[in-house]
Amino acid sequence: MLQMRGICKSYGSVRANWDVDFDVPGGRIVGLLGENGSGKTTLMKVLFGIIAPDAGTITINGRRIAPQSPRDAIAAGLGMIHQHFTLVDAMSVTENVMLGWDRAGYWLRPREIASLIARASQSYGLKVDPDAIVGDLPHGQRQRVEIIKTILRGAELLILDEPTSNLSPPEVAGLLDVMRRLREQGRGIVFISHKLDEVLEICDEIVVLRDGEVAGRRAASGASKSELARMMICREVATAIEKRQHDAGPAVLHVAKLSWRDEQGMERLRNISFSLHAGEILAIAGVDGNGQSELADVLAGLRRATEGGIELAGQDITDEPASKRLEAGLAYIPVDRATTSLVPAMSVADNLALRDFDQVPLARHGWLCAEAIAARAAQRIAEFDIRAAGPDAPASSLSGGNQQKIVIAREVGRRPKALIALQPTWGLDPGATRFVVEQLITMRDAGGAILYVSSSLEEVLMLADRIAVMYGGRLSKPIARDAADITEIGLMMAGAGAMSAAAGRSA
Amino acid sequence: MRAAGPNAALGEAGFTWLSLKSGLGARRDNGLFSFLLVCIAVVAALTVTGLLILAVGKSPMAAYSALVRGVFGTTARFAFALNKSTPYILAGVGVALCFRAKLINIGAEGQIAVGGIAATWIGLNLEAAPSALIIAMALAAGAAGGAAWSALAAIIWLKRHVHEVLCTLLLNFVGVLLVSEALHGEMGEPGAGFPQSALLGRSAWLPRLLPGTDLHLGFLMAVLAVIGGYLLLWRTTFGFRLRLLGASRRAATYAGIAEPRCALAVMTLAGALAGLAGAIEVLGVHYRLIEGFSAGFGFNAVAVALIASINPIGVLPAGLFFGCLEAGALAMQRELGVPSSLVFVIQGLTMVLVLCVMGLSPRGRRV
Repeated sequence: MLQMRGICKSYGSVRANWDVDFDVPGGRIVGLLGENGSGKTTLMKVLFGIIAPDAGTITINGRRIAPQSPRDAIAAGLGMIHQHFTLVDAMSVTENVMLGWDRAGYWLRPREIASLIARASQSYGLKVDPDAIVGDLPHGQRQRVEIIKTILRGAELLILDEPTSNLSPPEVAGLLDVMRRLREQGRGIVFISHKLDEVLEICDEIVVLRDGEVAGRRAASGASKSELARMMICREVATAIEKRQHDAGPAVLHVAKLSWRDEQGMERLRNISFSLHAGEILAIAGVDGNGQSELADVLAGLRRATEGGIELAGQDITDEPASKRLEAGLAYIPVDRATTSLVPAMSVADNLALRDFDQVPLARHGWLCAEAIAARAAQRIAEFDIRAAGPDAPASSLSGGNQQKIVIAREVGRRPKALIALQPTWGLDPGATRFVVEQLITMRDAGGAILYVSSSLEEVLMLADRIAVMYGGRLSKPIARDAADITEIGLMMAGAGAMSAAAGRSA
Repeated sequence: MRAAGPNAALGEAGFTWLSLKSGLGARRDNGLFSFLLVCIAVVAALTVTGLLILAVGKSPMAAYSALVRGVFGTTARFAFALNKSTPYILAGVGVALCFRAKLINIGAEGQIAVGGIAATWIGLNLEAAPSALIIAMALAAGAAGGAAWSALAAIIWLKRHVHEVLCTLLLNFVGVLLVSEALHGEMGEPGAGFPQSALLGRSAWLPRLLPGTDLHLGFLMAVLAVIGGYLLLWRTTFGFRLRLLGASRRAATYAGIAEPRCALAVMTLAGALAGLAGAIEVLGVHYRLIEGFSAGFGFNAVAVALIASINPIGVLPAGLFFGCLEAGALAMQRELGVPSSLVFVIQGLTMVLVLCVMGLSPRGRRV
């Protein structure tokens, strides 16, 4: 049904896709596996006309297409169910299905559409009430609405991007059922996932991408988890960076049975316990979206834990606001420079003062001390080699690497007891990445405790003294870097590791 | 409103103006450049209004010269214009500070009204006290009344999650009607035939700054408020918090700022300034509370704050512009019979044009 041949797409020197062949026959479910950044998203964007490939052809039902926009792709019979839904919460299911659909016409016929929805629900086991307001529906039901929308628009080939990531186990079982029915109808399905168990259960074939290339193709019946995990991550294993050998000091940050629920009541962090010691880097590996950023936010005080306790150097900080944690010696490098760790419109000096602008010596009795702020900015700019037109230049005028230097200078420069670094090299060029890594190593060697969260296994292996894996809101028991087995870590990241089942209890 | 605010429009066409901007000597706050753009907008608004004056069969040049003479012709006239500007400037500073923190406070109208009631009550009931004490107490009461009115809106917003625009807007109507309620009740002057309070005792009148003119102490307070607002925004930790809140809520949380406390504080401060404006209007202009004494003041203050690029210093020229236009309009009507309501056209057009022109301003404003 679908044939993609020789798809290439490069961004500068980075090959996002290189000579990728990808086929989906009708009536088959094809799993697309790969780490973050392995090229899955790029491939699907090419298919959907969101980006134009540098080379390669796409054929659907024997007809060459070159989609220029998602509209073209939909017209050709493709349908995409995104991880983040494109539904209007305040509208009913019927209204959502009608939205932007030519067949709904100018004079709306909600009854007619509702009966179409009812019929589709029946035939695919997609139970959903056409009159329900989408905002009232649980996540699994909203997904059904998306699927119905796509089917009614005539999609022959459905692409499901991480469809199970926000579903509860019974909802996952329901979704897999629906997928089987769609397959019986002769539709093709692309199932994008990190979860080996589900992929093996539902797919007919599995294609693994790694660094933009097809790393392997297997029939699901013959594939084993460890083989797939190796295909996903197998590469020249990065050697650990030179670090001073020393025994880790006493525990600085102690986390016990930490849980966090989001606004919808979904448990995003489940019973997480670990200790972070002075002079070590504990790296948390894992595929994006398994609770890492939530964990970092809860530890730093940007979200409040629903259960459990956090202790920093013997002081209970579970209920302390972010500012108190900072005073207690907990620094935090969030991932998002544009909205969280930096204010692009503010000056470099103000950004360097962002987290302690109201404390002596930067402020006294509620007045800012411009000289102290400027003096410290000058010192940090020199110490961390921040390339800026001056302390008064807006942060937005700096390159990404130099912006991150501001954040590092602010957080590391205060000599914290513990540092949480969430993907600190994200979006940086190699030079800036090296700078960040060196700074973290320096801090570790000086006895600082670092919790390093990254979805790049390479970085984790390079930096870590100990490694833990996060999956589905749980954290595995940390293991020493030297004892780490890369295949095992790969399996754990895909939710199939031997240790992951016991993770919550044993950590 | 939040998304479509002035800063949303910034940046797009920015680069085409960069060369012009650097030619003007790029200062970090683009002050000169913004000023030039605003001037262009004002000239454009005057031109369009001139066409309207032509359409009613009068000479635009004659009308405008009458307008200018109405403002600058004599010291007394100029003093009158400054008095007119006072409430816009005072309330505008507070609104500008709220806008800085991305809080859309459009409740100045009601806060001015409540401030006026509070000041009148003190003025009527404390007649025996020394003059300085009465005035100080009445001004303080006005500020407190406005602050309470504003805090009420803020608390409804923070606790019940009613949008701040709704809270502040709807309480305006209540505040304004409270004035009527008070004047039809015990505060009203019996037998006056118009809803107004009794005349305040002379000891409650605001002192004059210039002998022989109406210029009162309130204008000086408005200028001080502008300076104070500037210092607050750029030199204090509170101002840093406001700027941070306005720039990014997530960054503010990351920096350890408690948003509700900060928002309540700035809303209360803005309410106090608006309430003070109401008190000054009562003690310095009318010497009594009159129904509708502050009609449109609060909304003009919002316009002034917007025109001033949401910078407290800019509130001063913007407030003066509004006040002078209104003072001049009366002269224009008197001398030529050009309807003074045309001035509202100028105000409205200037507003729209300035906001359009701000979309061209490179980089927007500093945070």
